[in-house]
Amino acid sequence: MMLSVSPSSANQARLRCVAVLLALFLVPAVFAQAQTQGPTLGQTDPNSPDVILPELSAVPIISAGLAYNTFFQGGTPNLHPLVSPVILIPLGQNWLIESRDTFEINLAPVPGESGYKGYLQKEVDYLQVDYIANPFLTITVGRYLTPFGVYNERLYPVWIRDLQSDPLILPISTGPSGAGTGAMLRGGFKATPKMEINYATYFSTLSRDTPFDSDRNIGARAGIFLPGPRLEVGGSFQHLLQGDRSNAFGFHFAWQPPPLPLDIRAEYARSDTGSGYWIESAYRLSQVPVWHDEMRRVQLVARVQQYYTGKVVDPDLPGVNTNMFEFGMNYYFRDDFRFVSSYGRQFAPGGGNFNVWTLGITYRFVLPVGHGDIQ
Amino acid sequence: MTSRRVILSSLLALVTGTLLLAGSSAGQQVDKPASAQTTNSTIHSAPPAAASAQGDEALRVEGEKRFHANCGRCHQSPHKFPPRMVMTIERHMRVRATLTDEDMRLIVRYLTQ
Repeated sequence: MMLSVSPSSANQARLRCVAVLLALFLVPAVFAQAQTQGPTLGQTDPNSPDVILPELSAVPIISAGLAYNTFFQGGTPNLHPLVSPVILIPLGQNWLIESRDTFEINLAPVPGESGYKGYLQKEVDYLQVDYIANPFLTITVGRYLTPFGVYNERLYPVWIRDLQSDPLILPISTGPSGAGTGAMLRGGFKATPKMEINYATYFSTLSRDTPFDSDRNIGARAGIFLPGPRLEVGGSFQHLLQGDRSNAFGFHFAWQPPPLPLDIRAEYARSDTGSGYWIESAYRLSQVPVWHDEMRRVQLVARVQQYYTGKVVDPDLPGVNTNMFEFGMNYYFRDDFRFVSSYGRQFAPGGGNFNVWTLGITYRFVLPVGHGDIQ
Repeated sequence: MTSRRVILSSLLALVTGTLLLAGSSAGQQVDKPASAQTTNSTIHSAPPAAASAQGDEALRVEGEKRFHANCGRCHQSPHKFPPRMVMTIERHMRVRATLTDEDMRLIVRYLTQ
């Protein structure tokens, strides 16, 4: 079905986009300016003294996350080894070059043949240059993770995520590869003694050169973080500058109630390609009084999610309305080495009801290039 | 199409300029000598040595609190890294997790002590 849009409504939509972007840009700037006009931090807030950084030169770092997961989807096993190296190169006091790549193979049985078959997939997740211009602004140029919601930027790595499967709505507005190629302005600052504001705004250009593929779009994300209750809420907006020039928006929520080893996270996203949400909670059993040494290493996870199809088909999203729940249990041998497992069931019409089991291990190491200690 | 690009470019330039200006004036305050900042401290009534110890302990406690509030949102129990690695990791996390300058300074201080 073709959708006709009148020129006037298109102009109104454009104006609305510009107005939203203007608001997202200017609110942090106004807060930042207001802060600079006040007294120094130490004068006003005893909990916020000025702190002089130690005079240490930063050292380049090589890190990598490794994972070996086995997904049993509808009874069919898929083996999924993955390596994701991260390189950080600090330059001077204000510059940082950083990159993360992913090399993964999805090995699956081929009917009529023996063994598992798959091919190596390579992806440049990000390769960016950051310039910390001032306490409120960092300028990023290059290939960056699309800051739509928080899962793609913060929780995506296999050594961080609590459940190894992606949320169903992740492809909404993160583009074909979860990354953009262009420039980004971002930062965070204290708006009041009990509230911090963070923002990110970006422009990405069109690229179809694998593994640097990205969509042409412009967007922004803004969030409020309350350090006391450890609560963060925020919203994202994106305007596609190609194809149907559609808009997308989303909300994110994260809460870690301070007395409990509990994480509660949720995201909602909506665009022409579909809409949906996920809610996830993870509880570390460190407060269980029995077998404390073992129980503190165990984490229980649960996630519920729903996805509804949109008017535009996206091959990376489910083709039909889909519901899914998952329960997981992770065991931390160390904070960088863990066993992961989960069980989930997907509900979708047309034969889309099946179980998903996951078993695997994740590991991460971090190494300095040169001497990490003080010389 | 061209006019829209001009509007968006102007908007971007305006906001970038505003943020840069805001930051430069803030930097002038942040870059004050340590002696001036000590004068502004809230622990000025105590003797110098005791005040320094109290101040160090207050900063350590505050740094640990900020570490758990910010880093703990995604990562598990604390890593101990060599100090020069901490400087790089915090710069990375400042960008990735949009840490505030103040949080970053307190966390670096906590992790490098």
